[in-house]
Amino acid sequence: MFGLTPPAPVMPRDFSACSGCSLCVLVCPMWRARRDPRFSAEGLAKAQQCGATAAELAAPIEACSLCGACDPVCPERIDLSGMIMGLRQRLTNSVPPRTPPPAVLGDLSAMLQKASGAPAAEGAVSRAAPVLLPGPDLRADAELLARVQALVGLVLFDDDGADIVLALELGVEIPHARLHGFLDALRGHSIVAADGLLLRQLRRWLPGSQRMSLGAALSTRAAVRSNLVPSDLYVIEPRAFHGDYERMVGYYDRLQRETGCSLSQDLQRIAIPATSSELGQKLGLVAGDDVQAKWLLQGRKPARIIVENLADRAAFRRVCEIPVLHVAELGEDPEMIKSRPHAFG
Amino acid sequence: MPAGVSSLLTSDQVSALKILPVEPGTVGPCPVASDALQGIKRQQTNPARWNGAGWEAFVAALRATGVELAEGPVACGVYATDAGGTAYGLPHGVVIAHSAAQVAALLKAAQTHRVPVTVRGGGLTTEGESVAFGGVLLDMTGMSRVLNIDATGLTVRTEAGIFWHGLAEELRREGLDYLSAPLNLTSSVGGTLGVGGIDVNSARLGCSADQAISLQVVTPTGEIVECSDSENAELFQRVILGYGQFGVITEATLRIRPYTPLAMRYFYYSSLRTAIEDLQMLDAADASDYSGILTIMDCAVNLLVAFDSDEREAAFRKNWKSKLRGYGEFGFALCMAGHYALRPWRIGEALYLLRRKREVFPEFRRPEYMRNGKMHDRTVVYSRAVWKHWGSRNMVIPDLATSTERFIEAVERGNAVCRRFFPHYTLYCVGIKLRPEHQAHYEMSCVPPGVQDRAYGCEFEPMIEGAVYSRDHFQSFKNAIYDIGVDMGASYYRFGGMMKGYIRRVFGDALVDKHLAMKRQADPAMILNRDVIF
Repeated sequence: MFGLTPPAPVMPRDFSACSGCSLCVLVCPMWRARRDPRFSAEGLAKAQQCGATAAELAAPIEACSLCGACDPVCPERIDLSGMIMGLRQRLTNSVPPRTPPPAVLGDLSAMLQKASGAPAAEGAVSRAAPVLLPGPDLRADAELLARVQALVGLVLFDDDGADIVLALELGVEIPHARLHGFLDALRGHSIVAADGLLLRQLRRWLPGSQRMSLGAALSTRAAVRSNLVPSDLYVIEPRAFHGDYERMVGYYDRLQRETGCSLSQDLQRIAIPATSSELGQKLGLVAGDDVQAKWLLQGRKPARIIVENLADRAAFRRVCEIPVLHVAELGEDPEMIKSRPHAFG
Repeated sequence: MPAGVSSLLTSDQVSALKILPVEPGTVGPCPVASDALQGIKRQQTNPARWNGAGWEAFVAALRATGVELAEGPVACGVYATDAGGTAYGLPHGVVIAHSAAQVAALLKAAQTHRVPVTVRGGGLTTEGESVAFGGVLLDMTGMSRVLNIDATGLTVRTEAGIFWHGLAEELRREGLDYLSAPLNLTSSVGGTLGVGGIDVNSARLGCSADQAISLQVVTPTGEIVECSDSENAELFQRVILGYGQFGVITEATLRIRPYTPLAMRYFYYSSLRTAIEDLQMLDAADASDYSGILTIMDCAVNLLVAFDSDEREAAFRKNWKSKLRGYGEFGFALCMAGHYALRPWRIGEALYLLRRKREVFPEFRRPEYMRNGKMHDRTVVYSRAVWKHWGSRNMVIPDLATSTERFIEAVERGNAVCRRFFPHYTLYCVGIKLRPEHQAHYEMSCVPPGVQDRAYGCEFEPMIEGAVYSRDHFQSFKNAIYDIGVDMGASYYRFGGMMKGYIRRVFGDALVDKHLAMKRQADPAMILNRDVIF
C-alpha cells in the first residue's frame, strides 16, 4: 500500500510569480459560486501584487475552503493554498480579528494548550506500525469506523490532531510544544489519515514519512475495489488528492481504468470538491450551500455515489435520491451483496 | 488632452502647438492616422490614461440604476495587465457582468457621461487590448453559464463570458464538444468570437468565430439586440471579428458536435519549407481532421496530424502518409545526431533541443489523458502545456496571416527575424478554412484581404525563459514581423492595442475610414474598447 516513493519536492514560489493565466480560476469553487475573480487564488495574488493587505482581502480569504485545487494547475508552481493559509494567519492576527469569534479562538487555544501538556499518544502502538488517524467525524460513527479498521487493518492512533487541523483552518498559530509532541509521536509510522489538510501539512512536516489518504487506502483493498462498477461516481477527497497531486492523479487514473467507475474530476483532472465550506460555514456561523454537489452531479447519472469524505455523503444525500455510500460501506451495499456475494475478499 | 486644458489656451496657442481641440472624454478625429508612427521612435505606444472627467457623476448615475461598481486596488489590481504583460493600466472601477440588462445600463450611462468602457473576457490579449487605461473595466466572466444544450440540433446557447474550459466541461458531460476553440482554455467565448480563434482543426472547420450561429449583443449605446446572418445581419458582420468595436457579446449560439478522442500523430522535419509544403498538401486534400506545425526554433519542426476516427486515419495511412517527408521520432533523433555531429560548434543548440524535448514531450503523453492510444481532452493537454512550457510574465506573439501561396515566404522571413532577436523561439502554423458566405465578417480582420478559400497563420513566439528584455526590444521585434506583413500585403491576428499603428498601413485608408464612420455612428462618444482599434 505504501510502495510509491514521493516525488522530490519542488521549490514553491510566492504570489509575485503569478502571471495571471487564470488556470486556477477554472478550478476554484469560490469563483464558481460567485463568478468574481477577486474570489480566486489569482485574484488574491494579483491584489497582493498591487499592494492589497490581508484585511482588504478578508472576504475571499475567508471564503476559501482550502481544497487545494489551485495548487497543481499553477504553471508557475506557486504554493497558492499556502499563500491563502498565510493570509488567513495574518488576518487572524490582525486587530481586531475577523471571522473566528473570540470564543472559538479561546476554545481552540485551550485545546491546543491542553494537548501540549498531554503525554504522547502512542499507547501500545509499536514505532514502525502503520497507524490510522480517522478524524472526529469517523470516530463519531463507531460502526463505520470498525468497518474501516477491518478493511485497512491498521491500528487507531489516539491523537487525530483535530485541534491542529482547526488551527490550520483558522490561521491560528500552533504552540511549538503541541506540534512537536504530535509529530514526534507520529515519526517513524506510516500514516493513513482521513483529513486531507493534515496530510498536506504532514508532507511538509515529516517529509520522509509514508502517508496516504484514507480514501486511497480503502480503495486499494480488493474488497472495496471489486465492488466498484462503471455506473458508480467515485468522489475523491480533494485536499489529500491535490496535496500529493502527481502521485494521486496516477493512482486514481489506474483505479478508473481498472474498475470503469467515473471520477469526480474536471477536464483538468482536478478533484471537484463536493462541499466547499467557507470559514464561516465550518464554524457554523453561516448556512452551508450545496452548489458544488449539484455541479458535480450536473449532466451525470450515476447509479451510486461513492464518497471518501463523510461530509460529502451528507451533501449528496441532501441534493439527490441516488444511493450514497462511504467507500468503506461498499461491501455492505445490499444490492451489491445480492449481485456479487463473493466480493468481500 | 486633460479636461479643460483646451479652454485655457487661446486658439493661436492651440494652433501653434498643432493640437486639435478635443472635447473632454472623446478621442480625436483619427487616432490611427497614417502618420501615427512618423517621427516617433518605435517604442511601445500605450494609449494615454483617460483623464477621469465626470467620473463621480457617472458613478452616481450608474449606481442609481442598480449596477454595482467596485473601486480600489483590490478590485482593479486583477486587471492591471493582460497575458502579454507589457501593457499596464488600471481602470477607475470594475463592473462584473451579470446580465445583458446590466451591461446595457452601464453602456447607456457611459455614453451619457463619455466614460470609456474596456471589455475583458479571459484577458488573453497580448497588446493591451483588454487593459483599461482608466474608465470602467467590464469583466464578462461573470456571465459564464451555459443556457441550453440542444443535443439533437447540435447547438449550444451560452453566456459569452464563459471560458472555453467551462463550456467544454458542460458539453463533455453530455458527450458533446465544441467545434474549434483556441488552444487555451482561459480564453472566453465572447472574446474569441470578437477576434477569430484558431484551433488545429481550423484548416478544416474554420476559425471559432465561424462557428457562431447567432449572438445577443449589447450595442455601444445600450440596446440589446439579437443578430445573426439573417437577423440584424450588418451588426452580426461587424461584431464577429470586430475586435469589440461594435458591441458587447453577451450570449452566443454555437454549433457543436459529438465528442471524440483523437489519434495524434507526429512527423518531424528539419526544414520549415518542407514541413509547410506537406501541411498544405494535407490540408488541400482534407487528409486529416487536425493539422498544424509547432517548432523548436527552425531546428525541430513538428507537423502534427490527428484524426477523430479510425476510418479517417486508415485513409490517411493508405493515401498520404507515404507522401510526407517528415521522420518519426527515432528517425529524426538519428538525423539530428548526425547533423550536430558534423557541427560541433552548435552543441548548445543541440542541448537546448534535447532539454526542450525532455521537458515538453511527456506533457503531451500524460497517461491520465490517454486511453487506448488516443488523446482525450486535447485542449486541456495543450492549454496546460502552453502555460507551463511557453507561458511567462511576458507573452509576445506577433503573427502573420497570408494566402496559401505566400505563406512559406512569410514564415521564412519571420523566422529570420526571430533568429535576429531571440536565442530561442517557437513557431505555430495552422491553416484557416474560410467560408465564402462569411466574406463580410472577414472585412478588416485577421483574415488577409482577397483570400478566398484558405488562409494560413503563423505565430512567432520568443521563449523568454526568465530572461529580461525591455519593452522596446519586444516592440521592435513585433514591428519587424509586422513590417513583413505590410510588405507582403498580409494581415495579423493581433493588430489592435499597441500594434494599431499598423492598421492603416495594412488595410488602407478607404477601408479604415469606412469602419471608423460606422464606429462613430454606432458609438457616438467612442467609449467602447477605446484605443483597441479606434
